[in-house]
Amino acid sequence: MSDKAFNPFAMAQQQFDKAADFLNLDSGTRELLREPMREFAFLIPVRMDDGKVKVFRGFRVQHNDSRGPCKGGIRFHPQETVDTVRALAMWMTWKCSVVDIPLGGGKGGVICDPHNLSEREQEQICRGWIRQMVRNVGPFTDVPAPDVMTSGQHMLWMLDEYEKIRGERYPGMITGKPVGMGGSLGRTEATGYGVVYTVREALREMGIKPENTTASFQGFGNVSQYALLLYQQIGGKPICVSCWDQKDQVSYTFRKKEGIDVKVLMGITDRFGGIDKGKAKDLGYEILPGEAWIEQDVDILFPCAIEHQITDANVGKIGKNVKIIAEGANGPTTPEADKVIQQRGIFVVPDFLANAGGVTCSYFEQVQCNMNYYWEKDEVLGKLDVKMTSAFLAVSELARQRKLYMRDAAYIISVSRVAQACKDRGWV
Amino acid sequence: MPDRAGEASLEKLTPFDRRFTDFSGVFSYIGSGWIGGKAQGLAFIKDSLLNRMNGQDFPDFTVRIPTMTVMATDVFDAFMKQNDLYEIAYSNESSNEQIAHAFQRGNLPPDIVGDLRALAVSIHAPLAIRSSSLFEDALREPFAGVYGTKMIPNNQFDVDSRFRVLVEAIKFVYASTFFREAKTYIMTTGQSVEKEKMAVIIQEVVGLRFGDKFYPQISGVARSYNYYATGHGKPTDGVIDLALGLGKTIVDGGKSWSYCPSYPRTAPPYKSTSDMLKQTQTEFWAVNMGKPPAYDPIKETEYMATGDLAEAETDGVLQFIASTYQPENDRLMTGIFGQGPRVLTFAPILSLGDIPLNNLLKSLLKLCEEVVGHEVEVEFAVALDPENGVPARFGFLQVRPMFVSRSKVEVPVDDLEAEDVLIASEKVLGNGLINTVRDVVFLKVTDFNERASWQIASDLEAINHRLVAEGHPYLLIVYGRLGTTDPPFGIPVSWWQISGAKVIVEASLPDMHVELSQGSHFFHNVISSQVGYFSVSHSGRFPIKWDWFLSQQTVTETDFVRHVKLATPLRVQIDGKSARGVIRS
Repeated sequence: MSDKAFNPFAMAQQQFDKAADFLNLDSGTRELLREPMREFAFLIPVRMDDGKVKVFRGFRVQHNDSRGPCKGGIRFHPQETVDTVRALAMWMTWKCSVVDIPLGGGKGGVICDPHNLSEREQEQICRGWIRQMVRNVGPFTDVPAPDVMTSGQHMLWMLDEYEKIRGERYPGMITGKPVGMGGSLGRTEATGYGVVYTVREALREMGIKPENTTASFQGFGNVSQYALLLYQQIGGKPICVSCWDQKDQVSYTFRKKEGIDVKVLMGITDRFGGIDKGKAKDLGYEILPGEAWIEQDVDILFPCAIEHQITDANVGKIGKNVKIIAEGANGPTTPEADKVIQQRGIFVVPDFLANAGGVTCSYFEQVQCNMNYYWEKDEVLGKLDVKMTSAFLAVSELARQRKLYMRDAAYIISVSRVAQACKDRGWV
Repeated sequence: MPDRAGEASLEKLTPFDRRFTDFSGVFSYIGSGWIGGKAQGLAFIKDSLLNRMNGQDFPDFTVRIPTMTVMATDVFDAFMKQNDLYEIAYSNESSNEQIAHAFQRGNLPPDIVGDLRALAVSIHAPLAIRSSSLFEDALREPFAGVYGTKMIPNNQFDVDSRFRVLVEAIKFVYASTFFREAKTYIMTTGQSVEKEKMAVIIQEVVGLRFGDKFYPQISGVARSYNYYATGHGKPTDGVIDLALGLGKTIVDGGKSWSYCPSYPRTAPPYKSTSDMLKQTQTEFWAVNMGKPPAYDPIKETEYMATGDLAEAETDGVLQFIASTYQPENDRLMTGIFGQGPRVLTFAPILSLGDIPLNNLLKSLLKLCEEVVGHEVEVEFAVALDPENGVPARFGFLQVRPMFVSRSKVEVPVDDLEAEDVLIASEKVLGNGLINTVRDVVFLKVTDFNERASWQIASDLEAINHRLVAEGHPYLLIVYGRLGTTDPPFGIPVSWWQISGAKVIVEASLPDMHVELSQGSHFFHNVISSQVGYFSVSHSGRFPIKWDWFLSQQTVTETDFVRHVKLATPLRVQIDGKSARGVIRS
């Protein structure tokens, strides 16, 4: 695992410390919540298609399970670091807590690049990961889900391996499964929709009609695509979106001031989520550098790509009319940039609140799996909207009452709930 | 009120906000776009009329529009688009069932399901899920009763079930926009189905729970203009129909108590008391609050139940609305006494006047006319105090303008017997001249039974569909009452099945008590579409000249119905003022 200047775990701890200070947490609780409760690191030997054996490094971090089984994705990424996973596990704890679902936080992964692996090799990694973790994951222990470069197919392989070893069916052991194989309707849309549900409520509180707003999106993956679709549906006008170009290994921003057509762009996107530059140009899109998404003269910014995107280096470029930043990605804003945003009075919907739709729907999937009865999509999305809106309202109300920054208010609600659970269990 | 009433802004309503802890009395909307004619009518009335009501004049009544939320037309557009429903909806090959099932499979737009769920969480009372389309209730483009309404008990213990049933009901109303009858009717009015959009009203049902049923003791339709005034009543006195239970009885043309508000003690013109016993309401509609029925989300009456007068008496509701028949002296006694048959005459209220419902209705009609600027038709429901009748809740459910023609056509008495007159009547509805009818559709048989009636309805529908598609208005001559729910007394057609008729003649038979087609929607549609209506008695002075019609060129013929084509158009003259009319060759 490589060491980088930016350490997401340090950032997560910094954010936690702020909330802990506000809540005046005792030292034991602080110590418990500042670090993951459990970490698993292991090796996964795989016989590759060329006959050679390659050993992959896998891990799982369980940050806190005081409120319920851990929940969190499994990432396949060549540059994965344990600190990234620790941070993400901690954020999962806060995320589950802020939307008030009975789950804790976890995260895991394997250092590998699926682009260079055959399907069979990926399957062997998935099965190997489960063989290592079988005693420490499960529907009542720790429930994994898809994440960066993993999909429903990977989850099914993992589930199959788990059930083979256990000798019984445990559809609730993992989420993000395909619909019809224990998956939930609405899961694909859930994270992106959840982001927009919170933005809709933020706009309502600010007295702004969605149809009078424009927005810029970073990223064109699942979260961004569905956020774009719903944002457009509630009347908003997205004018640009940036995405990673796999071939050029840089990102580009695609802009159309009269409003982008999400469905058309989705039709000219490669399997990595990259938009075809040539075709986009033919359709009248301006092709700008990747960083340009942040500089647009819009009302709302949707950072929906990866962490560490709004930094002290580019925070000054945020357009003067920006009123809301809705963090669809995990940890897109560094603490330094956050201070500038706060000073400017921009309303932030913090990541672990804005993008909690995914884990909320995963929770719904688990509930459906455990009772082996599946809901209609209307029902899933209806519940999701209510959960997200309720969570947003609780945070915004606290922020208003105590004159807090939204991120701080969200942390205070989340951390206090987890701290209380630890206390109630007699841990601290 | 604007002609295309549905195309009005949302200004009069409050955006739905799930942060409200109490929805009672709130008039809100979800989505954007238009709210449809029905909702717009209510929004208009809420501001313009209810504020002018003097509560002190009627201290026994709480008059209000039941709490409602409207899902605006953009939600409908998004639903149609995201589920790719336009193809099956517009197709003439799709059956109502196929359309309804396809709509049930669709998902509602993700931006509004949270609001609906919040609604399901907050409200536990029975709900009416009603259509409110752009075309609906617009003046001269009557769409009353064309689209679906679904009543739901909304009393399931868990919110998931309540939400599911609510969503299914909304999808049913959406689907009804494209049912065969609606499409035919839209075509008849010269509108395009592609331009129709549906808003949906989610409204609290006015009533009380009695065991496993929920219903108002009184529902009714009040019209400020009576095209068929009888006795001392003048057309401008209006007419009121009352029924026990949900308004479906009246809307569907079932048996109700019809009276002139200026003479509330005067009974409708029944031939005898025993005739009255046969012709008054004996069954009523209610929301089924009991054991869930068979799952059938595409059935309009899935959560409805019927009851009879014995049940209503057990529920204790007849004391204010029934009389008792005394066979020994062939008389009716106001109220319920002894063992005699109960008759729904509403006499305890109308004759004794203890509960001033009639005065309230008169006052409301007057106010509505002033506010709307037209003659009006008002639908309402009343929940009486079970013990004393009052205090009572008066739910104002709908108001729509009535079309009253002002053009001057005179038909002198002498003209009724002129040589070229084929049909003459002194009981006509409508007003004006019609010179465009070259097609005549008439019944061949006089022997009605239920089976034949349904077949006749089906035959009429087929001929109507063809003539509408060809753009040929026609004269329809039937025996008995059109639009009845009692097939032995007439033809159980819905308005859309004869929507191309420009002139309708209802002829009576010796064994048949025929009064005006009573169904409120049917009646409203006849008037608003400016259809000429003739009532011809079998024993009257002006018999129909059947020989002439039978000698015309037959186009199609079934066992029961014949369609003939005329060489030259008929000349129809209707004198609305004198209620005289003639049809000349």
